[in-house]
Amino acid sequence: MPILQVEGLRKVFGEGALAVTALEAIDFTVKKGELMALLGPSGSGKSTLLLCLSLILEPTAGRIIINNKEIYNNGWTNVDARRFRRENIGFIFQGHNLIPFLTTLDNVALVMTLNGVREGDARKKGMEILEYLEIAHRADFYPSFLSGGEQQRVAIARAIANEPALIFADEPTASLDTERGFKVMGLLKRIAKEKGSGVITVTHDHRMIDGFDTVYELMDGRFVK
Amino acid sequence: MDLAIKDISRHVGKFIATILGVGLLLTIVFIMNGIYRGIIADGIWLIENTDTDLWVVERGRGGPFNEQSRVRMDMYKSVQATPGVMQAGPFIVYAVQREIAGRSQQFSIVGYDIAIGLGKPGRIIEGRQITAFHYEMVADKKLGLQLGDTVRLGVHDYRVVGITKGAVDSGGNPLIYLALPDAQEVLYQMDNQAIYASRAASLQRLLNAGLSQADAERMLPLVSAPVDTISAVLVRLRPGEDAQLVKDHIAKWLYLSVFSSDDEKNLMLEGRVKRISIVLGTFRVLLLVVSIVIVALIVYVLTIEKIKSIATLKLIGASNWVIVRLILEQTLMLTISSFLFGYTMAALLKASERFPRTLYFLTFDTITIFLIMLVGGILASGLAVWHALKAPPALALGG
Repeated sequence: MPILQVEGLRKVFGEGALAVTALEAIDFTVKKGELMALLGPSGSGKSTLLLCLSLILEPTAGRIIINNKEIYNNGWTNVDARRFRRENIGFIFQGHNLIPFLTTLDNVALVMTLNGVREGDARKKGMEILEYLEIAHRADFYPSFLSGGEQQRVAIARAIANEPALIFADEPTASLDTERGFKVMGLLKRIAKEKGSGVITVTHDHRMIDGFDTVYELMDGRFVK
Repeated sequence: MDLAIKDISRHVGKFIATILGVGLLLTIVFIMNGIYRGIIADGIWLIENTDTDLWVVERGRGGPFNEQSRVRMDMYKSVQATPGVMQAGPFIVYAVQREIAGRSQQFSIVGYDIAIGLGKPGRIIEGRQITAFHYEMVADKKLGLQLGDTVRLGVHDYRVVGITKGAVDSGGNPLIYLALPDAQEVLYQMDNQAIYASRAASLQRLLNAGLSQADAERMLPLVSAPVDTISAVLVRLRPGEDAQLVKDHIAKWLYLSVFSSDDEKNLMLEGRVKRISIVLGTFRVLLLVVSIVIVALIVYVLTIEKIKSIATLKLIGASNWVIVRLILEQTLMLTISSFLFGYTMAALLKASERFPRTLYFLTFDTITIFLIMLVGGILASGLAVWHALKAPPALALGG
């Protein structure tokens, strides 16, 4: 059973003569525990696709089904969309995007408290996740005192804290050296297998291709591979 | 999880610096307000603390506080004879600057007839009233005198027999109470050179008028400057008497102006206090606006610094309330902490009694300033809230 189904996705910006087609005829599925790579040069539509999948940018046509729920054309408000996002999707960013005034543990616990988990429980579970990702010794550090690799591990910890069905990783290895990049990829693979989340990774990084279960390449808004 | 407190504890230096800055501005607001209220309190203190129903002053003048008033000493006896008057007493008040307790001080001397008692000092906290007809004084604590101290005024020494607290003239200067003859002597006492000069001038005027040297010298005492004038006559009415009738009678038959204590207060508030209250009021408003603008700017800058974090929060599913709460809590903490700091500083300054003017804080004013700061701060943070809510979650996805 796929966690994510995308059917006939199309996104057009502007109208008439000024219309620009960013995505066209996108179809794919992601299964539980699958690690998918989304390749493509700048301007190919990767970010647009990620925004559409994240309930931020409504597509012009097509269907997106996450965890058996169609996420557009369902009368959801912004509040509903945010709730769905925090319950079902985890994000890993190229620039880590950790909240700078929160410690490592607070960054992880925050997403759980947003989901209604009591702070004490969230911190306890956050510690377990940090231990799982071998970064617990940095629990009380602020992001500015962590290395790039450590920050990315904390970002991954935050992304999996709510045990989401899907994890979107935007260039997770772009700012890391090869060794750390492989470590992060190894972590994502481990999480996909052990936690059962579907992981979609947007990347330019051809060094990491071998680690993925499926690879899609976008070119001018269409899948070419 | 309280994001506002987490942010503040991470940037505690910046917050403390802001609180100090805005707090000191608010200290100035409180002090200006205290000065304003103090000016009003000082302005009417002597009027409120003089046990009299009517103030009889020189015709056509707004005395004895707003304008100089000279009434012939014996007029108090004519006022005493007015129907409805139970008691009338002479009263004199004037400002002087002399060396007292080792430093040059400005103060006012109040002279009253100790036998009649009208105009005697209230609020004596140590010692007693003046009982001797000469050379005793009651002085305010602010002058730094102790019971038993002697003070040289003019050519005599006066012994402190009583101490008052908070007895001030309309300018906030402390008061010294003397028996009327002493007060007149201090006021009219001239040094020898001045006496010689005055006599010589008077003598010359008599000679110019055609008098012989012998006649001129014989007439000289008659044309000397009078030394028995007073500032006002204080009047206590008989119980149940119509004050207006007595006022009309005195004004008509004795050719003097008469004010009730309320009239005197109004004269003071409308005259001396009004202009300064406008000046202080303008500064208070300006400083409050500046304080609110600073809070707004700081909150706005703090929000803009966090805009990517806010976008990330939105992307990971935080509700708008989480973001609004973060900004509002910081605004409230800044505003309330600045207010408390400002108020504490002003209160400490008042308690130290080192401020040269009377500071008077009213609860109503304090609450009003607090509410203006609170509402102003919240409204001013609206721009930051608007900016934060407008930030697209997609902003978090940028590299």
